Amino acid sequence: MSGLPAASAGEAPTGTAVDDDLRYVGLATRVVSFVVDAALITLVDILVGVGAALILFLLHISNELKTILAVVGAVAYITGSILYFVIFWCTTGQTPGARMLQIRVVSAGRDRVKPRWAVVRCVGVVLASLPLFAGFVPILFDGRRRGFQDWLAHTAVVEAPGPSIAEVSRAKKREIYEASHQRPPAMPE
Amino acid sequence: MSDDQKANSRRRVLGPLAGLAVRAATATLRPFAGVAEVAAEAGLSLERRAVDRVLESTELERVVVEAINSTHLQTALKRALESDGAAQLIDSLFDSGLIDRFLERLLASESLWRMIDEIAGSPAVTAAISQQGLGFADEIGDQVRSRSRKADDWVERAARRLIGRHPRMLPAEPDAST
Repeated sequence: MSGLPAASAGEAPTGTAVDDDLRYVGLATRVVSFVVDAALITLVDILVGVGAALILFLLHISNELKTILAVVGAVAYITGSILYFVIFWCTTGQTPGARMLQIRVVSAGRDRVKPRWAVVRCVGVVLASLPLFAGFVPILFDGRRRGFQDWLAHTAVVEAPGPSIAEVSRAKKREIYEASHQRPPAMPE
Repeated sequence: MSDDQKANSRRRVLGPLAGLAVRAATATLRPFAGVAEVAAEAGLSLERRAVDRVLESTELERVVVEAINSTHLQTALKRALESDGAAQLIDSLFDSGLIDRFLERLLASESLWRMIDEIAGSPAVTAAISQQGLGFADEIGDQVRSRSRKADDWVERAARRLIGRHPRMLPAEPDAST
């Protein structure tokens, strides 16, 4: 079903979390990544919510309209949360939490996840959470550490080691410094 | 004739004679004093010119460089710094209260705080502080990453033990030296 390498797909005792150069990420790391993302989303939502509540307080609007706006806010919250994950999975494969933990969501062909599969994965996360998070249990036993949502969207979560934010910043500064201190080429005699 | 009257009469005779002698000596020595003054001025001027010439020449630079590079001088300095005398000199410098006074004056000066403000606000210092902040965040990130990876394996082992499965064979950590 999945196009991912099948070298360790079985449940053999010698199963490994590594396929070729891919190292699959386990449950704890994914939970930490999700907690970071949830904290970010909640922070933004609190700021937006407080701003919206302040505006509504100043405008003196009717109760009916307030109810409608609350529904609109709830829909916006759910849509925003889905878009957050879908956009990050489709573009870089890394949400900010995943970037911090240096992990990435990849498709079956180890490419970027296509938008429709990202939406399917998002739905899969919700479905996996509904039966007391039972959908995440397969991560502990699967050869490629896949949960229900990965099985549904043909994806896997792999390690993506890369330069840290400090290293990127240092490299940029070094480039700027070297560019500004580069001597002009010598004139031919 | 009393003794006082004799002394007075001697003073009257010898006083003008002594004054005459002093005037004569002054008049005689005046040309010599002028010559000595001119000679001293010429000597001073010569000294100044010599010093200027030495300072302008490359010889002074060569002498200073050779003196600094001289192993003898370096050895002598090293011995002097290692000696008890140097330690005593430092002790007496601190005991004298000169350092305390220097620091008090330094802390009381406006220029020092202005300089500190300038340094603290300079782009290089602010960049260094931000780099340090990022480095700290990096360190925390590294710690979280390594612990979460260990937690992955631990949770998996525990879950597999719970249902009686063999633990997963995990690959060895790559060697840090490679």
